[in-house]
Amino acid sequence: MRNIILGPLLRLVPVGLVALSIQRVIFGAHPIYGVKLQFVLALVVAAGAGGGADRGAVAGFVLGLLYDVSGNTPLGLMALAYGLAGMTAGYVHSFTPDPQWWLASIFAFVGAAVGEIAIPVAEVITGQSGWITSDARITIPVVAGFAALMCPALMPVGRWMMGVKRKKWKAMLE
Amino acid sequence: MFSGLSRRRVLLLVVLTCVLLITLDKRGNAVIDRARSLFARVVQPIDTATQALMLPVERAWNGIVHFDDLQSENEALRDQLEHMRGNDVEARSAVLQYRELLKISQLTSKFQFDTVKAQVVGESPSNFQNTVEINVGGRQGVAVGMPVTDGAGLIGRITKVFADRSIVLLVTDPGYSIAAQVLSSSDSPGTGTTTPTESTLLNGQPVSDLTSSTTSTTTTTTTQPLPPELQPLNTTTTAAAVTPGVTTSTAVAVPTSTTLPPVVRETGTLQGQGADQPMLLRFVDTTSAVTSVKVGAVVDTAGGTSSNAPQGIPIGIITHIERQTGSSSALVEVTPNANLKSLNFVAVVLYVSNQDAIGK
Repeated sequence: MRNIILGPLLRLVPVGLVALSIQRVIFGAHPIYGVKLQFVLALVVAAGAGGGADRGAVAGFVLGLLYDVSGNTPLGLMALAYGLAGMTAGYVHSFTPDPQWWLASIFAFVGAAVGEIAIPVAEVITGQSGWITSDARITIPVVAGFAALMCPALMPVGRWMMGVKRKKWKAMLE
Repeated sequence: MFSGLSRRRVLLLVVLTCVLLITLDKRGNAVIDRARSLFARVVQPIDTATQALMLPVERAWNGIVHFDDLQSENEALRDQLEHMRGNDVEARSAVLQYRELLKISQLTSKFQFDTVKAQVVGESPSNFQNTVEINVGGRQGVAVGMPVTDGAGLIGRITKVFADRSIVLLVTDPGYSIAAQVLSSSDSPGTGTTTPTESTLLNGQPVSDLTSSTTSTTTTTTTQPLPPELQPLNTTTTAAAVTPGVTTSTAVAVPTSTTLPPVVRETGTLQGQGADQPMLLRFVDTTSAVTSVKVGAVVDTAGGTSSNAPQGIPIGIITHIERQTGSSSALVEVTPNANLKSLNFVAVVLYVSNQDAIGK
């Protein structure tokens, strides 16, 4: 457990800072039809899909924490939501240890949707404003779709970030 | 690779840490605040670098995609500017009179408070927070709760203050609410009424209201070239063209005595409903919306001891009133004056509510 948490921190934090900057400067400032695409969330679910549920949860926690520190949300709120997102996406490893890109994308879609829904829910629980408004009908599928599209490209980054090496299967010698 | 127990332990640790951090932050923690301030400094150069890298790409994209839109918008804005210059002269005079009246009556207003100019340097990257970041903070005298305005009206209030940065919660956020007032009179534009055109207005007032006591007089004036900001005044002159320096005869409708309609002031609470949604106004007197308030009425801050803003900051305009069946109340929707999607320069009003001041 110690290795899962402490090992990738050195890679997670710098990658997270760059991802957060991309989120703030590019995706946060240029909404598409009113929806701000979530690059950090896409990276979290890609890390989950590439490394498994536990690694996804840790990636989500650390990147979410960076998000919280830089924003207006209570510390730990986005960490919780993104932790859930990473964990959900990582459940793809329950089906296959080396998921194909399309299967990883499907789980990334589900994970991102869970993460995006979890934000207003956590806000309500912690006494912040907001609830799932009618806008969420558009926001959640668009954000989840973006994460699914980005997943194949971000999965190698996620794997590297979490210190996961892709398995190399070899045929058994007779 | 990992046992089920290990996975559960990791997840439990993540959830418990999050809950602990949320609790600490919600109760107010100096260490977390300091960490936020420090992090803002660390992220700033990375943001600047990303912006510098993205700028050429963004400009090229805007040049290709938005050139035609920009040109037509530019023309429309120039036209609008010409009209606004005329209105501005009129408004300046009204503001001076208003200030004088406030001084005589010893009343407080937004004009008594200093402001700090700021620029919006970022906005919330999330879809669920309606906030923007501005480049002034505690060092410039900004404090939590202070109202923030732009040229068009109120845009929000300060919710977090760092040394040189602050977070502004926008008026459209569901967590934002403020005491508001609607000043309406019988001549206010209402539902179903026609929009007054230039020819029916005299200095912004419908001519029909003045006809009972208006006489048409012929005055002889010598026109001089006027400074551009004073040129397009909203008067119903009959002269077709005026040449500078030439004496002309102009028929101007001059009111000799005006009966002003009574002004009704209704107060309530204005609350945001989310980005791109109009704000919702709830009156103290629930029947107000049905009886005296009309679509088009101007909504501004009501002030008061517990309010976070002084009286008189314009917020928006009532755009929709929906009568509720079986109830004397109505849903009143207010559209903000300020364009919250393209904020750039703003001003923080250095106003602390009486309640906060007493608390300190």
